Amino acid sequence: MKMEEMSVSGLDNTKLEAVAHEIYSDLVEDACLGLCFEVHRAVKQGYFFLDETDIESMKDFEIVDQPGVDIFGQVYNQWKNKECVCPNCSRSIAASRFAPHLEKCLGMGRNSSRIANRRIASSNNVNKSESDQEDNDDLNDNDWSYGSEKRAKKRKSDKNPNSPRRSKSLKHKNGELSSNVNADSFKYNYNSSIYYESLGPDELRSLLTTQCGVISEHTKRMCTRSLRCPQHTDEQRKTVRSLLLGPSALTLPEGDTAVDNDSYETNDGSVLMSHLHWDGSSDISPSDSGSSKASTNNSESKKPKKKKKSSLSTGGGGYGEGGSGGFSSFQGGALGPSNRKKKTKISTAPPTSVYNELN
Amino acid sequence: MPFKINSLTCFLPMPSRAKTNNMSKDLQMRAAINQKLIEMGERERLKELLRAKLIECGWKDQLKAHCKDVIREKGLEHVTVEDLVAEITPKGRALVPDSVKKELLQRIRAFLAQHSTL
Repeated sequence: MKMEEMSVSGLDNTKLEAVAHEIYSDLVEDACLGLCFEVHRAVKQGYFFLDETDIESMKDFEIVDQPGVDIFGQVYNQWKNKECVCPNCSRSIAASRFAPHLEKCLGMGRNSSRIANRRIASSNNVNKSESDQEDNDDLNDNDWSYGSEKRAKKRKSDKNPNSPRRSKSLKHKNGELSSNVNADSFKYNYNSSIYYESLGPDELRSLLTTQCGVISEHTKRMCTRSLRCPQHTDEQRKTVRSLLLGPSALTLPEGDTAVDNDSYETNDGSVLMSHLHWDGSSDISPSDSGSSKASTNNSESKKPKKKKKSSLSTGGGGYGEGGSGGFSSFQGGALGPSNRKKKTKISTAPPTSVYNELN
Repeated sequence: MPFKINSLTCFLPMPSRAKTNNMSKDLQMRAAINQKLIEMGERERLKELLRAKLIECGWKDQLKAHCKDVIREKGLEHVTVEDLVAEITPKGRALVPDSVKKELLQRIRAFLAQHSTL
C-alpha cells in the first residue's frame, strides 16, 4: 500500500473489510469464551448433567397436586396439633401457643413485666398470712405454676369488677352472670352487692363496719353503699347488724357514726352513745382504719362491731373519755380480716382525728 | 498477518517507531475504531445480537453437546477452563452459521462507514 492512499479520514475497502472481520472474530471468540465459562461453572457446581437425570429420581420431585397438600407434598397445618415440651417448666404446650407461653414462662417480653408488676402490687395490698406472700413470690417467678395461675386468675378477676370485660359478660348473659361475678368477688370487691350468707362472722363484721349492709328484700343482698347511704335508714342498719352479728354486736350502727376508729365499742351503752354522737365523716376513713386496726383485736374478744368506714356521723363532740379509752384498745387490733385490699385501706385509718377531736 | 487487536489492547502502548508507518498507522486506526466501538456502546449491542442469534440457530446447544463429550472424555472432576477453551473455541468458530456471520459483518461495516472519519 502506498502511503498516499492512506488518508487520515479513511481506509480503503480492504482495510475496512479486514478490520470488520477482525471485529467479528473478536465477537465470536467472546461468545465462545462465555459458553466455556458457563459450562465450566455448571460442571463444578454439579448441575451440568442435571437434564440427564433418570426418570426414577425425577418422580421423587414431581409436582404434587393433591388437595390439602402443597406442591412438595407437605401438609399445611401439620404442626398445629403437635405439642411441645417447654424447656423451662417442662409442661406440654400446644404448638400454636408455645411462643406466648415461652414469653411468659421465661419472664421476657412486654407483657410479662406488666403481669409481674401487677402481681407485686396485689400481693402488697393483701395482708394475708405468710404463705400467701410466698405464693406471691412464686407467682412472680413462674407465672405458669398451676396453683399460682388459679390464684392469679382469681386476683385478676377480683381486681376490677367494673372492667369492660366483665360488664360485657354481664351484658351477654343479661345479668345472670352478675350474680356469679358478685358472689366470686364479694371478698375482694366492695362495690357489688353481697350475699351475706356466705360470709364468716369476721368478714361480716368488717363489712358492716364500713358498709351500709342493709339486706335488700328482693335481692337478699347486703347494700354495699356507705354507712350513710340514703336508701336505708339507720334503723335498718341496726336491724341488719343485730340479725347478722347477734344482739351483742349491736354497738355501732345507729345513725351515722362517722369514722370507724371511734367505732370501737365497748359493751358500754353510754360509750356507744358517745360513739354515735361523735362526729365523723367518711373522709376520715384512713385514720379510721388505723383505729379500726386497733379495734380489731379488741373486737375479737368483745364481738363489737367494727365500723371501718362508718360514716356514722354522730355528734362528734360527745365522744369524750370513753372514746379515748376505747381507742386505746383499738390500737391493739388492726383489722383482722383485712386481707382484702379495700379493707386494708380502711384499716389504715387511724383514729388520730378522733383523738384530736377528743382532745 | 495483521495484528489481532483485542479490545483490551487498545490501551496498550503502541509499538515503537522502528516499525513501519503503515503498521503504526494501521494500529492507530484500529485502536481508534475499537475505542469508538466501545465508547458508543456498539460493541455491547453487537455482542448481544450475536449471542441471541447463536442461541436462536441452535449453535449453543450444538456446542454444549460437544462440551459434554469433552467432559466425559476428560472426566467430570478434572475439567479445567483451559481444556474447555482449547476444545471449544475452534469448533465454535467453525460452527457459526453463515447467515449470522453475514448479518454481523453487515452491521460492523455500517458502523465503520458511519464512524470511520477520525
